Amino acid sequence: MTLAVEAEQLVKHYSGRGGEVEAVRGVDLHVQGGEVFGFLGPNGAGKSTTVRMLTTLMTITSGSARVAGVDVAADPEAVRRKIGVALQEAGLDIRQTGRELVILQARLFGASMAEAADRARELLELVDLVEDADRRIKGYSGGMKRRLDLASALVHEPEVLFLDEPTTGLDPASRLTVWDELRRINERGTTIFLTTQYLEEADQLCDRLAIIDGGLIVAEGTPAELKADLRQRRDLDQNPTLDEVFLDATGRTRERVAGEVQEVPA
Amino acid sequence: MTKLLVLVQRSVREALRTPEALLPTLFIPLFFLVVNVGQAARIFPSGSTPFLEGQNYAAFQLPSSLLLAASFGTAALYLVEDIEGGYFDKLRAAPIPRTAIVFGRLFAEAFKSAAIASAMVLVALPFGISIASGPLGFLLLIVITASWAVVFSGFMQLIALKTRSAAATNSAGLIFFPLLFLTPSFVPRGLLTRPMEIAATFNPVTYIMETMRSLVLEDFNWSVIGKGFGVVALAGAAMVALSVRSIRRYD
Repeated sequence: MTLAVEAEQLVKHYSGRGGEVEAVRGVDLHVQGGEVFGFLGPNGAGKSTTVRMLTTLMTITSGSARVAGVDVAADPEAVRRKIGVALQEAGLDIRQTGRELVILQARLFGASMAEAADRARELLELVDLVEDADRRIKGYSGGMKRRLDLASALVHEPEVLFLDEPTTGLDPASRLTVWDELRRINERGTTIFLTTQYLEEADQLCDRLAIIDGGLIVAEGTPAELKADLRQRRDLDQNPTLDEVFLDATGRTRERVAGEVQEVPA
Repeated sequence: MTKLLVLVQRSVREALRTPEALLPTLFIPLFFLVVNVGQAARIFPSGSTPFLEGQNYAAFQLPSSLLLAASFGTAALYLVEDIEGGYFDKLRAAPIPRTAIVFGRLFAEAFKSAAIASAMVLVALPFGISIASGPLGFLLLIVITASWAVVFSGFMQLIALKTRSAAATNSAGLIFFPLLFLTPSFVPRGLLTRPMEIAATFNPVTYIMETMRSLVLEDFNWSVIGKGFGVVALAGAAMVALSVRSIRRYD
Protein backbone atom coordinates (compact mmCIF):
# COMPACT_ATOMS: atom_id res chain seq x y z
CA MET A 1 0.00 0.00 0.00
CA THR A 2 1.28 3.48 -0.90
CA LEU A 3 2.17 5.57 2.10
CA ALA A 4 -0.01 8.66 2.43
CA VAL A 5 2.92 10.73 3.69
CA GLU A 6 6.57 9.78 3.44
CA ALA A 7 9.43 12.05 4.40
CA GLU A 8 13.12 11.22 4.43
CA GLN A 9 15.59 13.47 6.21
CA LEU A 10 13.43 16.52 5.65
CA VAL A 11 15.35 19.71 6.44
CA LYS A 12 14.35 23.37 6.41
CA HIS A 13 16.76 26.22 7.01
CA TYR A 14 15.88 29.83 6.48
CA SER A 15 17.41 33.19 7.16
CA GLY A 16 15.94 34.95 10.15
CA ARG A 17 16.87 38.29 11.68
CA GLY A 18 19.25 36.59 14.07
CA GLY A 19 20.93 34.57 11.29
CA GLU A 20 20.31 31.12 9.83
CA VAL A 21 17.47 29.21 11.52
CA GLU A 22 17.38 25.40 11.44
CA ALA A 23 13.64 24.92 11.81
CA VAL A 24 13.55 21.26 10.77
CA ARG A 25 16.74 19.22 11.05
CA GLY A 26 16.10 15.85 9.44
CA VAL A 27 12.59 14.51 9.88
CA ASP A 28 11.55 11.03 8.76
CA LEU A 29 7.82 10.30 8.58
CA HIS A 30 5.81 7.32 7.37
CA VAL A 31 2.05 7.73 7.51
CA GLN A 32 -0.17 4.89 6.31
CA GLY A 33 -3.22 5.57 4.15
CA GLY A 34 -6.41 5.89 6.23
CA GLU A 35 -4.58 6.75 9.44
CA VAL A 36 -5.16 9.70 11.72
CA PHE A 37 -1.58 10.70 12.38
CA GLY A 38 -0.80 13.13 15.16
CA PHE A 39 2.21 15.42 14.96
CA LEU A 40 2.96 16.88 18.35
CA GLY A 41 5.54 19.24 19.68
CA PRO A 42 6.06 22.32 21.79
CA ASN A 43 5.90 25.81 20.27
CA GLY A 44 8.67 26.37 17.75
CA ALA A 45 9.49 22.65 17.49
CA GLY A 46 9.05 22.57 13.72
CA LYS A 47 5.49 21.20 13.40
CA SER A 48 4.06 23.94 11.22
CA THR A 49 7.22 24.22 9.13
CA THR A 50 7.05 20.48 8.40
CA VAL A 51 3.39 20.75 7.46
CA ARG A 52 4.10 23.74 5.21
CA MET A 53 6.79 21.75 3.39
CA LEU A 54 4.52 18.74 2.98
CA THR A 55 1.70 20.91 1.64
CA THR A 56 3.95 22.65 -0.94
CA LEU A 57 3.67 26.01 0.82
CA MET A 58 7.35 26.09 1.68
CA THR A 59 10.40 24.92 -0.20
CA ILE A 60 12.41 21.99 1.14
CA THR A 61 16.05 22.77 1.97
CA SER A 62 17.10 19.13 1.70
CA GLY A 63 15.67 15.66 1.98
CA SER A 64 12.59 14.42 0.20
CA ALA A 65 8.87 14.11 0.76
CA ARG A 66 6.09 12.25 -1.02
CA VAL A 67 2.43 12.88 -0.33
CA ALA A 68 -0.22 10.54 -1.75
CA GLY A 69 2.60 8.97 -3.75
CA VAL A 70 3.70 12.21 -5.41
CA ASP A 71 7.06 13.92 -4.91
CA VAL A 72 6.35 17.27 -3.25
CA ALA A 73 9.31 19.10 -4.79
CA ALA A 74 9.05 17.56 -8.27
CA ASP A 75 5.29 17.94 -8.85
CA PRO A 76 3.76 20.30 -6.30
CA GLU A 77 0.63 20.92 -8.38
CA ALA A 78 -0.20 17.20 -8.46
CA VAL A 79 0.24 17.12 -4.68
CA ARG A 80 -2.13 20.07 -4.30
CA ARG A 81 -4.80 18.17 -6.22
CA LYS A 82 -4.60 15.31 -3.72
CA ILE A 83 -4.46 17.17 -0.42
CA GLY A 84 -6.74 19.33 1.67
CA VAL A 85 -5.21 21.95 3.93
CA ALA A 86 -6.54 23.76 6.98
CA LEU A 87 -3.78 25.73 8.62
CA GLN A 88 -3.39 27.30 12.05
CA GLU A 89 -5.23 30.44 11.02
CA ALA A 90 -8.62 29.53 9.56
CA GLY A 91 -7.81 30.71 6.03
CA LEU A 92 -11.05 32.37 5.05
CA ASP A 93 -12.13 35.39 3.09
CA ILE A 94 -14.38 37.08 5.61
CA ARG A 95 -16.19 39.19 3.01
CA GLN A 96 -17.72 36.15 1.37
CA THR A 97 -20.54 34.01 2.65
CA GLY A 98 -19.79 30.48 3.76
CA ARG A 99 -21.46 29.08 0.67
CA GLU A 100 -19.57 31.41 -1.70
CA LEU A 101 -16.28 30.43 -0.13
CA VAL A 102 -16.86 26.69 -0.49
CA ILE A 103 -18.15 27.11 -4.06
CA LEU A 104 -15.09 29.20 -4.97
CA GLN A 105 -12.78 26.60 -3.47
CA ALA A 106 -14.54 23.82 -5.40
CA ARG A 107 -14.23 25.80 -8.63
CA LEU A 108 -10.51 26.27 -8.02
CA PHE A 109 -10.30 22.48 -7.92
CA GLY A 110 -11.96 22.26 -11.31
CA ALA A 111 -15.65 21.76 -10.47
CA SER A 112 -18.30 23.31 -12.70
CA MET A 113 -20.64 25.87 -11.12
CA ALA A 114 -23.42 23.28 -10.69
CA GLU A 115 -21.04 20.66 -9.25
CA ALA A 116 -19.54 23.25 -6.92
CA ALA A 117 -22.97 24.32 -5.66
CA ASP A 118 -23.93 20.68 -4.99
CA ARG A 119 -20.66 19.99 -3.22
CA ALA A 120 -21.02 23.13 -1.11
CA ARG A 121 -24.51 22.04 -0.02
CA GLU A 122 -23.18 18.60 0.94
CA LEU A 123 -20.16 19.94 2.86
CA LEU A 124 -22.05 22.68 4.66
CA GLU A 125 -24.42 20.00 5.85
CA LEU A 126 -21.48 17.85 6.98
CA VAL A 127 -20.08 20.67 9.13
CA ASP A 128 -23.53 21.77 10.30
CA LEU A 129 -23.42 25.23 8.75
CA VAL A 130 -26.46 25.04 6.46
CA GLU A 131 -28.42 27.66 8.38
CA ASP A 132 -25.54 30.14 8.30
CA ALA A 133 -24.33 29.33 4.81
CA ASP A 134 -25.52 32.60 3.28
CA ARG A 135 -24.21 34.86 6.03
CA ARG A 136 -20.91 36.69 5.62
CA ILE A 137 -18.05 34.82 7.30
CA LYS A 138 -17.11 37.99 9.18
CA GLY A 139 -19.99 37.29 11.57
CA TYR A 140 -19.08 33.65 12.24
CA SER A 141 -17.81 32.48 15.62
CA GLY A 142 -14.34 30.92 15.93
CA GLY A 143 -15.83 27.41 15.92
CA MET A 144 -17.93 28.11 12.82
CA LYS A 145 -14.88 29.48 11.03
CA ARG A 146 -12.90 26.35 11.87
CA ARG A 147 -15.68 24.11 10.59
CA LEU A 148 -16.02 26.13 7.41
CA ASP A 149 -12.26 25.94 6.91
CA LEU A 150 -12.54 22.17 7.24
CA ALA A 151 -15.37 22.08 4.71
CA SER A 152 -13.39 24.15 2.22
CA ALA A 153 -10.43 21.79 2.62
CA LEU A 154 -12.66 18.85 1.64
CA VAL A 155 -14.20 20.16 -1.61
CA HIS A 156 -12.23 17.79 -3.82
CA GLU A 157 -12.38 14.75 -1.52
CA PRO A 158 -8.65 14.87 -0.75
CA GLU A 159 -6.68 11.71 -0.14
CA VAL A 160 -4.74 13.38 2.67
CA LEU A 161 -6.06 16.14 4.90
CA PHE A 162 -3.48 18.31 6.68
CA LEU A 163 -4.77 20.08 9.75
CA ASP A 164 -2.47 22.42 11.63
CA GLU A 165 -3.80 22.91 15.15
CA PRO A 166 -7.43 22.78 14.04
CA THR A 167 -8.89 23.32 17.50
CA THR A 168 -6.54 25.95 18.92
CA GLY A 169 -8.55 28.73 20.50
CA LEU A 170 -11.87 26.86 20.40
CA ASP A 171 -14.14 26.38 23.38
CA PRO A 172 -14.57 22.78 24.60
CA ALA A 173 -17.94 22.30 22.85
CA SER A 174 -16.60 23.49 19.48
CA ARG A 175 -13.53 21.31 19.97
CA LEU A 176 -15.69 18.23 20.47
CA THR A 177 -17.70 19.12 17.35
CA VAL A 178 -14.50 19.37 15.28
CA TRP A 179 -13.33 16.00 16.69
CA ASP A 180 -16.61 14.38 15.62
CA GLU A 181 -16.23 15.84 12.14
CA LEU A 182 -12.66 14.61 11.87
CA ARG A 183 -13.76 11.10 12.84
CA ARG A 184 -16.49 11.19 10.18
CA ILE A 185 -14.05 12.43 7.54
CA ASN A 186 -11.55 9.72 8.46
CA GLU A 187 -14.27 7.05 8.32
CA ARG A 188 -14.81 8.04 4.69
CA GLY A 189 -11.21 6.98 3.99
CA THR A 190 -9.32 10.27 4.18
CA THR A 191 -5.90 10.13 5.83
CA ILE A 192 -5.58 12.89 8.42
CA PHE A 193 -2.27 14.47 9.34
CA LEU A 194 -2.94 16.52 12.41
CA THR A 195 -0.70 18.81 14.39
CA THR A 196 -1.86 19.74 17.83
CA GLN A 197 -0.65 21.02 21.15
CA TYR A 198 -3.54 19.36 22.93
CA LEU A 199 -2.40 15.94 24.07
CA GLU A 200 -5.91 14.83 24.94
CA GLU A 201 -6.85 15.59 21.34
CA ALA A 202 -4.04 13.39 20.08
CA ASP A 203 -5.01 10.65 22.53
CA GLN A 204 -8.65 10.75 21.43
CA LEU A 205 -8.15 11.00 17.70
CA CYS A 206 -4.83 9.61 16.57
CA ASP A 207 -3.98 6.07 15.51
CA ARG A 208 -0.29 6.93 15.66
CA LEU A 209 1.71 9.97 16.52
CA ALA A 210 5.15 11.50 16.36
CA ILE A 211 6.61 14.04 18.73
CA ILE A 212 8.96 16.63 17.29
CA ASP A 213 11.28 18.79 19.33
CA GLY A 214 14.03 21.09 18.15
CA GLY A 215 13.36 20.10 14.56
CA LEU A 216 13.85 16.36 15.18
CA ILE A 217 11.44 13.49 15.81
CA VAL A 218 12.00 12.38 19.41
CA ALA A 219 9.26 9.76 19.75
CA GLU A 220 6.92 7.86 17.44
CA GLY A 221 4.29 5.15 17.82
CA THR A 222 0.70 4.53 18.80
CA PRO A 223 -0.45 6.33 21.97
CA ALA A 224 -0.65 2.95 23.70
CA GLU A 225 2.88 1.96 22.60
CA LEU A 226 4.35 5.25 23.74
CA LYS A 227 2.66 4.98 27.12
CA ALA A 228 3.70 1.35 27.58
CA ASP A 229 7.28 2.21 26.66
CA LEU A 230 7.46 4.96 29.26
CA ARG A 231 5.81 2.76 31.88
CA GLN A 232 8.43 0.10 31.27
CA ARG A 233 11.39 2.48 31.24
CA ARG A 234 10.28 4.26 34.40
CA ASP A 235 8.98 1.10 36.05
CA LEU A 236 5.63 2.78 36.77
CA ASP A 237 2.70 1.06 38.49
CA GLN A 238 0.17 2.26 35.94
CA ASN A 239 0.14 3.59 32.42
CA PRO A 240 1.32 7.21 32.19
CA THR A 241 -0.76 9.86 30.44
CA LEU A 242 0.17 11.18 27.03
CA ASP A 243 1.16 14.42 28.79
CA GLU A 244 3.82 12.48 30.66
CA VAL A 245 4.97 10.80 27.46
CA PHE A 246 5.26 14.24 25.84
CA LEU A 247 7.21 15.70 28.75
CA ASP A 248 9.52 12.71 28.78
CA ALA A 249 10.11 12.82 25.03
CA THR A 250 10.82 16.54 24.91
CA GLY A 251 12.97 16.50 28.03
CA ARG A 252 10.70 19.03 29.71
CA THR A 253 9.43 19.12 33.24
CA ARG A 254 6.00 20.41 34.24
CA GLU A 255 7.72 23.41 35.90
CA ARG A 256 9.68 24.26 32.81
CA VAL A 257 6.63 23.98 30.55
CA ALA A 258 4.64 26.13 32.93
CA GLY A 259 7.46 28.67 32.86
CA GLU A 260 7.43 28.69 29.07
CA VAL A 261 3.69 29.15 28.96
CA GLN A 262 3.98 32.09 31.30
CA GLU A 263 6.59 33.63 29.06
CA VAL A 264 4.43 33.53 25.93
CA PRO A 265 2.21 36.56 26.60
CA ALA A 266 5.23 38.70 27.53
CA MET B 1 -8.77 30.43 -17.45
CA THR B 2 -11.91 29.51 -15.47
CA LYS B 3 -9.87 29.59 -12.27
CA LEU B 4 -8.57 33.04 -13.11
CA LEU B 5 -12.11 34.25 -13.79
CA VAL B 6 -13.27 32.82 -10.46
CA LEU B 7 -10.55 34.83 -8.70
CA VAL B 8 -11.39 37.98 -10.68
CA GLN B 9 -15.06 37.62 -9.69
CA ARG B 10 -14.06 37.15 -6.09
CA SER B 11 -11.93 40.33 -6.10
CA VAL B 12 -14.70 42.36 -7.76
CA ARG B 13 -17.21 41.06 -5.22
CA GLU B 14 -14.77 41.97 -2.44
CA ALA B 15 -14.53 45.54 -3.77
CA LEU B 16 -18.31 45.90 -4.08
CA ARG B 17 -18.75 44.68 -0.52
CA THR B 18 -16.41 47.32 0.86
CA PRO B 19 -17.97 50.57 -0.38
CA GLU B 20 -16.10 52.38 2.40
CA ALA B 21 -12.88 51.52 0.53
CA LEU B 22 -14.30 51.98 -2.96
CA LEU B 23 -16.09 55.32 -2.66
CA PRO B 24 -13.04 57.41 -1.65
CA THR B 25 -11.33 56.32 -4.89
CA LEU B 26 -14.14 58.15 -6.70
CA PHE B 27 -14.79 61.10 -4.43
CA ILE B 28 -11.25 62.11 -3.42
CA PRO B 29 -10.09 62.59 -7.05
CA LEU B 30 -13.30 64.50 -7.81
CA PHE B 31 -12.65 66.64 -4.75
CA PHE B 32 -9.13 67.44 -5.99
CA LEU B 33 -10.52 68.22 -9.44
CA VAL B 34 -12.94 70.75 -7.97
CA VAL B 35 -10.30 72.28 -5.66
CA ASN B 36 -7.58 72.55 -8.30
CA VAL B 37 -9.94 74.03 -10.87
CA GLY B 38 -11.35 76.41 -8.25
CA GLN B 39 -7.86 77.65 -7.43
CA ALA B 40 -6.43 78.04 -10.92
CA ALA B 41 -9.29 78.34 -13.43
CA ARG B 42 -9.28 82.14 -13.35
CA ILE B 43 -5.55 82.23 -14.13
CA PHE B 44 -6.19 80.13 -17.23
CA PRO B 45 -9.36 81.39 -18.94
CA SER B 46 -10.29 79.17 -21.83
CA GLY B 47 -10.52 82.02 -24.36
CA SER B 48 -6.96 83.22 -23.87
CA THR B 49 -5.10 80.04 -22.87
CA PRO B 50 -3.88 78.21 -25.99
CA PHE B 51 -3.00 74.96 -24.23
CA LEU B 52 -6.65 74.47 -23.24
CA GLU B 53 -7.60 74.07 -26.91
CA GLY B 54 -10.85 75.95 -26.35
CA GLN B 55 -11.96 73.90 -23.33
CA ASN B 56 -12.02 74.99 -19.70
CA TYR B 57 -9.29 74.31 -17.13
CA ALA B 58 -11.25 71.38 -15.69
CA ALA B 59 -10.62 69.48 -18.93
CA PHE B 60 -6.87 70.07 -18.45
CA GLN B 61 -7.07 68.86 -14.84
CA LEU B 62 -9.23 65.79 -15.47
CA PRO B 63 -6.27 63.47 -16.33
CA SER B 64 -4.56 64.27 -13.00
CA SER B 65 -7.70 63.24 -11.17
CA LEU B 66 -8.08 60.09 -13.25
CA LEU B 67 -4.49 59.14 -12.44
CA LEU B 68 -5.08 59.79 -8.76
CA ALA B 69 -8.20 57.58 -8.86
CA ALA B 70 -6.15 54.81 -10.46
CA SER B 71 -3.39 55.03 -7.87
CA PHE B 72 -5.02 53.93 -4.65
CA GLY B 73 -3.71 50.37 -4.99
CA THR B 74 -6.36 48.94 -2.67
CA ALA B 75 -5.94 45.52 -4.30
CA ALA B 76 -2.58 45.20 -2.56
CA LEU B 77 -4.11 45.99 0.82
CA TYR B 78 -6.66 43.23 0.31
CA LEU B 79 -3.75 40.94 -0.60
CA VAL B 80 -2.02 41.77 2.69
CA GLU B 81 -5.28 40.94 4.47
CA ASP B 82 -5.32 37.59 2.69
CA ILE B 83 -1.71 36.95 3.70
CA GLU B 84 -2.24 37.94 7.33
CA GLY B 85 -5.53 36.04 7.59
CA GLY B 86 -4.21 32.83 6.02
CA TYR B 87 -6.46 32.85 2.93
CA PHE B 88 -3.46 33.50 0.71
CA ASP B 89 -1.99 30.16 1.81
CA LYS B 90 -5.34 28.51 1.13
CA LEU B 91 -5.13 29.79 -2.43
CA ARG B 92 -1.48 28.75 -2.73
CA ALA B 93 -2.43 25.26 -1.60
CA ALA B 94 -4.98 24.97 -4.43
CA PRO B 95 -3.94 23.48 -7.80
CA ILE B 96 -3.95 26.80 -9.62
CA PRO B 97 -1.06 28.64 -11.25
CA ARG B 98 0.45 31.04 -8.73
CA THR B 99 0.20 33.71 -11.43
CA ALA B 100 -3.60 33.42 -11.34
CA ILE B 101 -3.53 34.75 -7.77
CA VAL B 102 -1.65 37.86 -8.96
CA PHE B 103 -3.63 38.33 -12.17
CA GLY B 104 -6.97 37.72 -10.45
CA ARG B 105 -6.49 40.84 -8.39
CA LEU B 106 -4.90 42.90 -11.16
CA PHE B 107 -7.69 42.20 -13.66
CA ALA B 108 -10.28 43.06 -11.03
CA GLU B 109 -8.37 46.28 -10.38
CA ALA B 110 -8.53 47.08 -14.10
CA PHE B 111 -12.33 46.57 -14.15
CA LYS B 112 -12.78 48.63 -11.01
CA SER B 113 -10.59 51.43 -12.31
CA ALA B 114 -12.36 51.44 -15.68
CA ALA B 115 -15.73 51.77 -13.92
CA ILE B 116 -14.49 54.59 -11.66
CA ALA B 117 -12.81 56.46 -14.53
CA SER B 118 -15.97 56.18 -16.64
CA ALA B 119 -18.04 57.51 -13.75
CA MET B 120 -15.63 60.42 -13.27
CA VAL B 121 -15.74 61.38 -16.94
CA LEU B 122 -19.55 61.13 -16.93
CA VAL B 123 -19.70 63.35 -13.85
CA ALA B 124 -17.35 65.85 -15.54
CA LEU B 125 -19.28 66.10 -18.84
CA PRO B 126 -22.06 68.40 -17.54
CA PHE B 127 -19.36 70.81 -16.32
CA GLY B 128 -18.29 71.69 -19.84
CA ILE B 129 -15.64 69.02 -20.32
CA SER B 130 -15.77 67.10 -23.57
CA ILE B 131 -13.57 64.35 -24.95
CA ALA B 132 -12.22 65.96 -28.12
CA SER B 133 -11.07 62.66 -29.59
CA GLY B 134 -14.62 61.27 -29.51
CA PRO B 135 -15.93 57.87 -28.38
CA LEU B 136 -12.75 56.02 -29.43
CA GLY B 137 -10.71 58.59 -27.52
CA PHE B 138 -12.95 58.07 -24.49
CA LEU B 139 -12.35 54.34 -24.75
CA LEU B 140 -8.57 54.86 -24.97
CA LEU B 141 -8.74 57.22 -22.00
CA ILE B 142 -10.45 54.55 -19.92
CA VAL B 143 -8.05 51.85 -21.14
CA ILE B 144 -4.92 53.83 -20.26
CA THR B 145 -6.37 54.76 -16.86
CA ALA B 146 -7.20 51.12 -16.11
CA SER B 147 -3.77 50.05 -17.37
CA TRP B 148 -2.09 52.51 -15.03
CA ALA B 149 -4.21 51.11 -12.18
CA VAL B 150 -2.81 47.67 -13.03
CA VAL B 151 0.76 49.02 -13.05
CA PHE B 152 0.37 50.78 -9.74
CA SER B 153 -1.43 47.85 -8.12
CA GLY B 154 1.26 45.55 -9.48
CA PHE B 155 3.87 47.67 -7.73
CA MET B 156 1.86 47.68 -4.50
CA GLN B 157 1.29 43.91 -4.71
CA LEU B 158 5.00 43.47 -5.11
CA ILE B 159 5.58 45.38 -1.87
CA ALA B 160 2.80 43.39 -0.18
CA LEU B 161 4.36 40.08 -1.21
CA LYS B 162 7.84 41.18 -0.13
CA THR B 163 6.92 42.76 3.20
CA ARG B 164 3.66 40.92 4.10
CA SER B 165 2.83 44.08 6.04
CA ALA B 166 -0.13 46.41 5.66
CA ALA B 167 1.84 49.34 7.11
CA ALA B 168 4.74 48.90 4.67
CA THR B 169 2.37 48.45 1.73
CA ASN B 170 0.45 51.58 2.70
CA SER B 171 3.67 53.56 3.02
CA ALA B 172 4.88 52.36 -0.37
CA GLY B 173 1.72 53.85 -1.88
CA LEU B 174 3.02 57.29 -0.95
CA ILE B 175 5.43 57.04 -3.88
CA PHE B 176 2.46 58.13 -5.92
CA PHE B 177 2.85 61.73 -4.68
CA PRO B 178 6.24 62.41 -6.32
CA LEU B 179 5.09 60.45 -9.37
CA LEU B 180 1.95 62.58 -9.75
CA PHE B 181 3.33 65.96 -8.80
CA LEU B 182 6.65 65.81 -10.67
CA THR B 183 4.56 66.05 -13.82
CA PRO B 184 3.03 68.86 -15.83
CA SER B 185 -0.09 68.53 -13.68
CA PHE B 186 -1.00 72.25 -13.60
CA VAL B 187 0.53 73.56 -16.85
CA PRO B 188 2.08 71.91 -19.94
CA ARG B 189 5.68 70.73 -19.69
CA GLY B 190 6.96 73.67 -21.75
CA LEU B 191 5.72 76.16 -19.13
CA LEU B 192 7.41 74.46 -16.15
CA THR B 193 10.58 75.84 -14.58
CA ARG B 194 13.72 74.17 -15.96
CA PRO B 195 14.36 71.86 -12.95
CA MET B 196 10.69 70.83 -12.87
CA GLU B 197 10.71 70.24 -16.60
CA ILE B 198 13.77 67.96 -16.30
CA ALA B 199 12.15 66.05 -13.43
CA ALA B 200 8.90 65.72 -15.37
CA THR B 201 10.74 64.51 -18.47
CA PHE B 202 12.32 61.68 -16.46
CA ASN B 203 9.02 60.79 -14.78
CA PRO B 204 7.20 58.08 -16.77
CA VAL B 205 3.83 59.26 -15.42
CA THR B 206 4.30 62.49 -17.42
CA TYR B 207 3.83 60.57 -20.68
CA ILE B 208 0.70 58.85 -19.43
CA MET B 209 -0.72 62.17 -18.26
CA GLU B 210 0.14 63.84 -21.58
CA THR B 211 -1.57 61.01 -23.45
CA MET B 212 -4.71 61.35 -21.37
CA ARG B 213 -4.67 65.10 -21.77
CA SER B 214 -4.17 64.79 -25.50
CA LEU B 215 -7.23 62.51 -25.74
CA VAL B 216 -9.33 65.01 -23.78
CA LEU B 217 -8.17 68.22 -25.47
CA GLU B 218 -7.31 67.34 -29.08
CA ASP B 219 -8.02 64.99 -31.89
CA PHE B 220 -5.80 61.89 -32.05
CA ASN B 221 -2.13 62.84 -31.70
CA TRP B 222 -0.67 59.40 -32.20
CA SER B 223 2.92 60.28 -31.33
CA VAL B 224 1.83 61.49 -27.87
CA ILE B 225 -0.65 58.61 -27.45
CA GLY B 226 1.97 56.07 -28.53
CA LYS B 227 4.44 57.29 -25.87
CA GLY B 228 1.84 57.01 -23.11
CA PHE B 229 0.75 53.53 -24.05
CA GLY B 230 4.39 52.51 -24.55
CA VAL B 231 5.29 53.65 -21.04
CA VAL B 232 2.29 51.93 -19.48
CA ALA B 233 3.03 48.71 -21.41
CA LEU B 234 6.68 48.66 -20.32
CA ALA B 235 5.90 49.51 -16.70
CA GLY B 236 3.06 46.99 -16.70
CA ALA B 237 5.25 44.23 -18.07
CA ALA B 238 7.93 44.99 -15.46
CA MET B 239 5.47 45.07 -12.54
CA VAL B 240 3.67 41.91 -13.61
CA ALA B 241 6.97 40.07 -14.16
CA LEU B 242 8.27 41.14 -10.74
CA SER B 243 5.00 40.25 -9.00
CA VAL B 244 4.90 36.83 -10.65
CA ARG B 245 8.54 36.20 -9.69
CA SER B 246 7.80 37.27 -6.17
CA ILE B 247 4.78 34.98 -5.72
CA ARG B 248 6.68 32.04 -7.21
CA ARG B 249 9.49 32.58 -4.69
CA TYR B 250 7.11 33.19 -1.81
CA ASP B 251 8.06 30.77 0.98
